[in-house]
Amino acid sequence: MTTLTKTITIRRDLAAEAKADAAVVRERLARRGTLVVNMLSSPGAGKTTLLEATARHLAGRHTMAVLVGDLETDRDAQRLSPLVPTAQLTTGGACHLELPLVCRGLAALGDPHVDFLFIENVGNLVCPASHDLAEHLRVVLISTAEGDDKPGKYPKMFRTSHVMVVTKLDLLPHVPFSIEAVAEDARRIQPDLAMFEVSALDGAGIEAWCAYLKQSRVKQFGRYL
Amino acid sequence: MHERSLVKSLLRQVDAIRRQHDANHVSEVRVEVGPLSGVEPLLLAAAFEQLAAESAVAGAKLVIDEVALLADCRPCGREFELGNFDFRCPTCRGNVRVTRGDELLLVSVSL
Repeated sequence: MTTLTKTITIRRDLAAEAKADAAVVRERLARRGTLVVNMLSSPGAGKTTLLEATARHLAGRHTMAVLVGDLETDRDAQRLSPLVPTAQLTTGGACHLELPLVCRGLAALGDPHVDFLFIENVGNLVCPASHDLAEHLRVVLISTAEGDDKPGKYPKMFRTSHVMVVTKLDLLPHVPFSIEAVAEDARRIQPDLAMFEVSALDGAGIEAWCAYLKQSRVKQFGRYL
Repeated sequence: MHERSLVKSLLRQVDAIRRQHDANHVSEVRVEVGPLSGVEPLLLAAAFEQLAAESAVAGAKLVIDEVALLADCRPCGREFELGNFDFRCPTCRGNVRVTRGDELLLVSVSL
């Protein structure tokens, strides 16, 4: 018996379904005026510290909630929960967050109607770049202690981000880091990248960063506000 | 890093296509990966070899087409290959739109 081989042409992005799911959640949150901000960086770049400073700055003027991703422990949630509603997402070893975990975190917070929902991703400049968490804004942090040559090493992360925040500006006098060099390297990959420089410990740059968040929210879905 | 979960998703989708077409056997699965797909072809092949064997599409061969990163610049109307992850248009220096090489694409399934 001979068997005939039939080739079916598909040409479909393997992640098409996951991307469609994310788009539905993104639209649902947009309709209630919640700007979703996915915060990404290597471990220790200062995501939690920036979120603490952001929460203090927005307090009384805007509502926000945070979903914090980590492999283990609820240390970040403990830092943030005195300031804002926070849910810890523990990945149990996985190196990135995925949409179902984000949805579970939202449900754990009682599906809050807030102006800003921040997702603090797992510290990692590789895998989180490949996962759409229904964010409207993707923010990559890079600390002055990490070195200004990082964007070129992690092209997908910087290509898919809207904003780069250079953190730990207070360390600049002590480390060989050039703001111009990091900006040039990152904008070669993403020419439209917005950029902020902050020192969350002493508050430098926090006002400009928060103003940008507010403007982004109005720009993204002013029609719903 | 997440090639195993990608392969699981690939096998699920391939098996759904097999069932849609009432086929007993999948002989070949063809995928396309590019420099910005976040997928390492060697790891993908290894994960496929391991996971396909214990799935409904056991015996299928995986063919990986590695493609270059392609982009176009709308203002200039040019399409070109991006070398060195420089996403600026060689003519106007503006941002480009990636048209190929940023996805893991299921190209075809042979039954």
